[in-house]
Amino acid sequence: MAMASSSFVYVTYIRAPQRKVWDALTKPEFQKQYWFGMHQQTDWKPGSPWKLLFEDGRVADMGEVLEFDAPNRLAIKWRNEIRPDFKEEGFTRCVMSLENDGELTRLTIDHSIDREGAKIITEGISNGWPKILSSLKSMLETGSALARFKA
Amino acid sequence: MRSDFVYVTYIYTTPQKVWDAITKPEFAKRYWMHTNVSDWKPGSRWEHRHGDGSGKVLIDGEVLQSDPPHRLVMTWTRPDRSKEPSRVTFDIADFAPGLICLTVTHDRLEGDEAMASSISGGWPKVLSNLKSLLETGKSENIWLTKGKEG
Repeated sequence: MAMASSSFVYVTYIRAPQRKVWDALTKPEFQKQYWFGMHQQTDWKPGSPWKLLFEDGRVADMGEVLEFDAPNRLAIKWRNEIRPDFKEEGFTRCVMSLENDGELTRLTIDHSIDREGAKIITEGISNGWPKILSSLKSMLETGSALARFKA
Repeated sequence: MRSDFVYVTYIYTTPQKVWDAITKPEFAKRYWMHTNVSDWKPGSRWEHRHGDGSGKVLIDGEVLQSDPPHRLVMTWTRPDRSKEPSRVTFDIADFAPGLICLTVTHDRLEGDEAMASSISGGWPKVLSNLKSLLETGKSENIWLTKGKEG
């Protein structure tokens, strides 16, 4: 990895088939359930635009699909559009990898930016992913995602 | 280079249940496959033992801080004392009604690269299994799944 970079890596094991975890990550009807009302808009073709939308349709984040290899690997070029200090730091790259592990699916999120000490990593991404992934795991294992709370 | 490991997870449970899951051997065995044994008083020794009945001590150390059910800090030492001890902190916070936020911070790993690598594979397994057990009553023998033991 390049010296001047920041990254957030998170691994979670979910008791669900890999295909279900993949669908939950990529299909808006599932995203809305565990991503606190937000969903993604894209056709998932490499090179296509990608957006993360609030419930009211405002754009929270935007970028481009870099890789799409169902149901194993997904990469997105991703920029926050809401906080000027995050937006100013530029595009991040988020890689999601899935692997079958017996009864479980191992999901790895590797979200990085070519910039040292980036706020988008320390204040944004590392705060957001644990909530989203805890919510996803609860939804797939219990049927109920994390309730909406004031973050 | 610093190699602190931080893992945050949100669990539908109470701080007391998470505290018990860490500190009570019979509970820990269900999702960690290992047990943590101590009287959990500051200054006391603690042992991380294999849960297979052998009682083999895998890790040990000293309880540095104990504030049940919210905060537990201890050193994490190889029993052969071949490396400097690292440190583990459990922070258990009420986050929303019925929902807790558990933060595990494993730091002071600069002197033991192999341990840093091992625990970064191990904690996600242990903490994913803990969340499953507390929310669904089900858990797995996590050390039989792929990846290295931590």
